[in-house]
Amino acid sequence: MRLKNKGYHICFAVIVAILALMPLLLSAGVITSSSFVLFLGKCIAFSIVAIGLDLIWGYTGILSLGHGLYFALGGYAMAMFLKLQATGGKITSFMQTGGMTELPVIWRPFLYAPLAMILVVAVPGILAGVIGFFIFRNRIKGVYFSIISQALTWAAYSLFTGLQSYTGGNVGITEITSLLGSIKGDSNRGKMFLLFYICLAVLVLIYILSGFLTQKKFGKLLIAIRDGENRTYFSGYCVSRYKNFIYVLSAVFAGIAGAIFVNFNGSITPAQMTISYSITMVIWVAVGGRGTLVGAVLGAFLINICDYNFSSGTMVEIWQYILGAIFVLTILFFKGGLVGIVRDQLPEWKKKLTRREVEQHGK
Amino acid sequence: MANENVLEIKNITVDFDGFCALLRVNVNVKRHTIHFFIGPNGAGKTTLLDIICAKTKPTDGECMFYPEGRAPVKLTGMKEYKIVEQGIGRKFQVPSVFVNLTVMENMILSLKGNKGVWQSIFYKLSPEEEAYINEVLETIELLDKKDEKAGALAHGQKQWLEIGMQLVQKPEIIMLDEPAAGMGKPETFKSGEILKKIKETCTIIVVEHDMDFVKQISDCVTVLHEGKVLMEGTCDEVLADETVQAVYLGRGGERNAED
Repeated sequence: MRLKNKGYHICFAVIVAILALMPLLLSAGVITSSSFVLFLGKCIAFSIVAIGLDLIWGYTGILSLGHGLYFALGGYAMAMFLKLQATGGKITSFMQTGGMTELPVIWRPFLYAPLAMILVVAVPGILAGVIGFFIFRNRIKGVYFSIISQALTWAAYSLFTGLQSYTGGNVGITEITSLLGSIKGDSNRGKMFLLFYICLAVLVLIYILSGFLTQKKFGKLLIAIRDGENRTYFSGYCVSRYKNFIYVLSAVFAGIAGAIFVNFNGSITPAQMTISYSITMVIWVAVGGRGTLVGAVLGAFLINICDYNFSSGTMVEIWQYILGAIFVLTILFFKGGLVGIVRDQLPEWKKKLTRREVEQHGK
Repeated sequence: MANENVLEIKNITVDFDGFCALLRVNVNVKRHTIHFFIGPNGAGKTTLLDIICAKTKPTDGECMFYPEGRAPVKLTGMKEYKIVEQGIGRKFQVPSVFVNLTVMENMILSLKGNKGVWQSIFYKLSPEEEAYINEVLETIELLDKKDEKAGALAHGQKQWLEIGMQLVQKPEIIMLDEPAAGMGKPETFKSGEILKKIKETCTIIVVEHDMDFVKQISDCVTVLHEGKVLMEGTCDEVLADETVQAVYLGRGGERNAED
């Protein structure tokens, strides 16, 4: 058991090491495109939200098809702060178009950096807490929970596109720089690298925190809830409180991820709040391997790297089909995802192979 | 006299949309006894257990629990995990252990103690608790399997593990729903001996079909039939009763059909 975990941690350390090398490779000229590093920065954000999803789905068995909501809320909170930095605290152009003359009340807190940073985690966290409280207390679970999570995301999407003068509508919030200022262009490379390493450090911290939680009795309880919710109630645990706690935590992770995403992406749009975007996140976790943390990180990186390479050029039309097929194959035949293949299937195949060899030698 | 009873089921009626699963059932369970509920399928035995541990809400009536040295507790209307806190454990019909956790982890999760979120995050197993778990594992003969995944255990061993999980909660009442189901004769007998040992520390309520098992360990038997109490007494009294024979024991094939 402990050995297996060690393997996971080593795998994660390798991923981090490769990521840490990327800016250096770019400086050395091995990689020519600096936008690839920007893209990897976004992948860091994706793997953070994937860790959060893994905690609630892989460990606790709650399938949320609406985590894009929390991701986007964190993203919007960060983008609103950055936008006000860019405009110098003045009202934005979409507000002017909407007929506003002064900054709306909901934008005011984002004038102050510390408050804005708190809101990046507080808005998704509190919303998830309130939603979770009612859903879990009423013992809504399984597919019903998934449907509700989708419906809420859809409602939020409609709200954000509808309130054009507050949120920028379909266009979202654009023309913003990162927390460290502009990171585009060769002259700002130092800033980009710094931002990249800061975000990488955040990923490592979140991985360590999640690893710690899953190692403790708390983590065993999450698995217990997944495998036998009733039994857990009758072992004296208030299951709904545990579910709500882990749901809020994963929403907070999603919020942090959204904030990181905005820094590298330079904009946020309601597209990050759509259902299909939320489902893509679930695919990362499923393909990487549920219930292992490192699987979520691996899945988020691999799928997005494929997406990055295939969504332009000749593969663009069939890539979505391939992705769908990979997801279906994973669910049908490789429940443990990539990690599961290495952990369960490979040893099995090896055993079969050696057995066959022994049989042949016997003859 | 109330002190002698650990549990009083008063006038319980359960109406599932017109189907009366239980009708004005009154039963008293005495402390440190093994109390059996028997009866044909659909008699309401499992429903009665569901009522006691609040899995099902009664249409009418109430359950009173008289813990040792504490004030009486009304169980009806409480949340199930609160009832566990009060000291009433339940083992389900289908063995429901946590298959992806080890035997030891299963036991740790079941230990009596604070079950809040923060407590679980910063929890550390104390040497006393570990010793106690080992002691219980010895009783249920699973000590050598403690690092194995519960899912890998044999059916009978899972049943014992679940009984063990009830024990480490140090309950005053343990409720077992068909603990001998799917077990062979020797295993069933061994289960009986384990229960006799446990009886010294708590009260045991059992729902069971296996009459040999009932004969082996019962102190008191309540026969349910179509949601009503048909008769109550010692095993010999119940077996000798003609009505009981007619509605239940006469149908010899039933035990086999259950398996």
